[in-house]
Amino acid sequence: MAVADFAVTIATFIVIYSLFGLGLNVKFGFTGLIDFGHVAYFMIGAYVTVVLTMPASTAAYRGLGGFALPEFLSAIPGGSLIGWLLGLAGGMLAAALVSLFVGIPTLRLREDYLAITALGVATILNAVVHNEHWLFNGPFGIRDIHQPLATAFPLSPGTFLVSLAIFGIPSLAIFAYAGYKLWGVLEPVSLRTAGIATAGGLVFVAGFAAIAIDFGDLVLGAAGILLLVAGGYIARVAFQETDVPGAVAGLLAAELFIVWYFVAPLVQEGAFVLLRNTLFLYDPAAGPNGGLDYDRFLLVFGGALLVLAYYWVERTVNSPYGRVLRSIREDEDVPEALGKDTFRYKIQSLAFGSALAGAAGGLWATNIGFIDPSQFAATVTFFAFTAVIIGGTANNKGVILGTVVFWSINAGTRFLDDYFPSKYAIQLAAARLILIGVLLIVILYYRPEGILGEQDYPVRGIGGGTDD
Amino acid sequence: MVSTGFLDALLQGLVTGSVIAAGALSLSLIYSIAEVPNFAHGDMITIGAYLALALNNPGEIPFLPISGGGISLVLAGALGIVLAGSLGAVYERTIFRRFRSKGADLITMVIVSLGLALVLRNVVLFLVGSKNVGYNTRSIQDTNVDLYLTNGGLTVQTTQRQAGDIVLLNEWGYSWLVLITLFAAAIGVGYGVYRWRQSDSGFEEVHLVSPRVLGITAGVGTTAVLGFLLRGAALGTTAIWSTRIGVSVKVFVIVGLVVLAMFLLNVVLKATKLGTAMRATADNLSLAKVKGVDVDHVQLVVWVIAGSLTALAGVLTGWYASNLNPNMGFTLLLPIFAAVILGGISSPYGAVLGALLIGVAMDLGTYLLPPHFSTYRIAIAFVILILVLLVKPEGLWGDA
Repeated sequence: MAVADFAVTIATFIVIYSLFGLGLNVKFGFTGLIDFGHVAYFMIGAYVTVVLTMPASTAAYRGLGGFALPEFLSAIPGGSLIGWLLGLAGGMLAAALVSLFVGIPTLRLREDYLAITALGVATILNAVVHNEHWLFNGPFGIRDIHQPLATAFPLSPGTFLVSLAIFGIPSLAIFAYAGYKLWGVLEPVSLRTAGIATAGGLVFVAGFAAIAIDFGDLVLGAAGILLLVAGGYIARVAFQETDVPGAVAGLLAAELFIVWYFVAPLVQEGAFVLLRNTLFLYDPAAGPNGGLDYDRFLLVFGGALLVLAYYWVERTVNSPYGRVLRSIREDEDVPEALGKDTFRYKIQSLAFGSALAGAAGGLWATNIGFIDPSQFAATVTFFAFTAVIIGGTANNKGVILGTVVFWSINAGTRFLDDYFPSKYAIQLAAARLILIGVLLIVILYYRPEGILGEQDYPVRGIGGGTDD
Repeated sequence: MVSTGFLDALLQGLVTGSVIAAGALSLSLIYSIAEVPNFAHGDMITIGAYLALALNNPGEIPFLPISGGGISLVLAGALGIVLAGSLGAVYERTIFRRFRSKGADLITMVIVSLGLALVLRNVVLFLVGSKNVGYNTRSIQDTNVDLYLTNGGLTVQTTQRQAGDIVLLNEWGYSWLVLITLFAAAIGVGYGVYRWRQSDSGFEEVHLVSPRVLGITAGVGTTAVLGFLLRGAALGTTAIWSTRIGVSVKVFVIVGLVVLAMFLLNVVLKATKLGTAMRATADNLSLAKVKGVDVDHVQLVVWVIAGSLTALAGVLTGWYASNLNPNMGFTLLLPIFAAVILGGISSPYGAVLGALLIGVAMDLGTYLLPPHFSTYRIAIAFVILILVLLVKPEGLWGDA
């Protein structure tokens, strides 16, 4: 698999889990509700969307449905897509409704009681889906997942050069925008610090390479560990002398990405692969002239949904309504004393966050093409919490950044598996999660507000009118 | 033909409840003294169970150089509990003390314990993998105790499956008169003990063991002693009602060890200066500090106790089920929290009662509900939890 395809897969994951994390941020970040059962709404969104959109009679499926909305609406133009979007809306609605049922008894409880009951709800809903075969086919899962517009792909709008231009230029634009944003972050780092940090990073990578060349060779292994320590020490010097350690970490991450995505493929496979990686939205293998394949389409489509959700959440939390939510988080007695019915706000926040989780679930099912209850274990919630806290609680940009960091560690390092014997696969997966757990605790201790910290809110002058 | 029924489920529930009690007791201490709603409690149970595994059956752990060998489960369990206790100290010193000194709020503590849970579970996965493993110990066979209620009284038969056939080991009986005498004596002795201990307790005098517990113990003891002494001839097996109870040494060991642990903790809490300091810290941390209690030391002790008790629960669970897996503790987390909240988080004794209630409810519920619902064992604990939170959020014995 080419690096570009792998990157597209990871990016799609990040988009879906960012949507999921945005939902959690509404509940946890802005309203202060510890919903340890967030994954339940992800699951409900996935199953309801799938069942509403899949064809009526499918082999090897004995659950409820399918209700075939896209087929039903296929007579009208664009009906297939509308049907799927209706299915997604149904999934969001179902997630929100279930969260209402869960919230009415539990939201009056203390925060720690809410956490444990929410975890219980998620565990039990998962057990229900797993055990009740008549509901959604139990542990056998669902395979016939409707993929909207799948017949239109690979999309190849013209000759080779036209396709290349149509999909290549947006790819370049995305990299250009990312580079511009990154420059804004990296500017305060002095050239000297950047040099030291880069040198440290290089020594560190050399150490890793020494270990990976021949796994089991003691001399190389010892030399590798020495190099790892030395690299870490050099990088530490850079971190100590700068007053923007976050930017230095960003620099190292960016350098690692450039080496992995551009330099290594260029050296190993040549200029064509470099071009392919750069114009990542264009897939030469899709159709005779190349074009946009379905995975890339889902990335773009999911990205569009994420942008919509992002502005929706931003609008909400920056409104007077959002101010009430934040005041509930800080001290529930204050909004209560000002005559706000805090319980209603809390339950609406729960429903809103759950609906976003439901949308993420619908996208997840479409992307992965097969769902079963084991995909919706409680750990998924904990991953989202980690991502939100790493990026910055109550910061929507932070949620996306945190999700990027989380999945870069959890999935992005999966290429490292190639360098180790395959029998260590479980160990590597476990080592990643240990790292994430430690990172969570370390961030909570040294930087409890997360990488980006809580976002700023526009404050009007004292003379300005208040609108709520 | 007799089949297992209500009484068997009750006994199962007692065992489940005992294991939950070991976890719930320590969780309630951490909850009230360290003020951490510890979501890592389940995974601390797993760690304890696997520590004993590393000593008892090192061949199962690929990273250990020794294959085979290993020490007996009793010794391995004891050492595992000690090791897990010192790990408890490590959690406190490296993580929770730092967060406490920063004045972390409840939400932060919840998330920190979650991070610890993630680390612990994956350390087990890293070292042992996800396969099911078991302790290296001799297998213990169940003995069936069959009860027949006949016209003349009660017949008891003990049977065992040997080489595929059910073999009668022993049988005896009690006439109705003996049975009535026995229960009357048990109730009489129990109530008498209760009244005797109750009479001199007051605000100043605090009993080491509460009169109620002592009364119940005396009643059960009288039943056992008289039941043994008054055995008569078997009265046949043409029964009005019959039931089978599966019993093994495991049941007695598990209940006995948990009761012993509870008693020791009770002594520490009520009869030592440290225990007084612990209770004072639980009541009001700042006040205890002002009065010269070394709060950090108390917290350390609480985490050591928690590490040991969770390890006890883990070893007992792994031994009882003859199976260990990295998820074993996490599945106990919900019942343990349910037990603690049911009993009232500030009351360790409430937590034990809550654990027994939850354990019995889980196993009786599985017996009483249609077979299809047997997979919802944990759900029963959860439903009880929700009901308690809605009706009496301070718990059945709590005072908050």
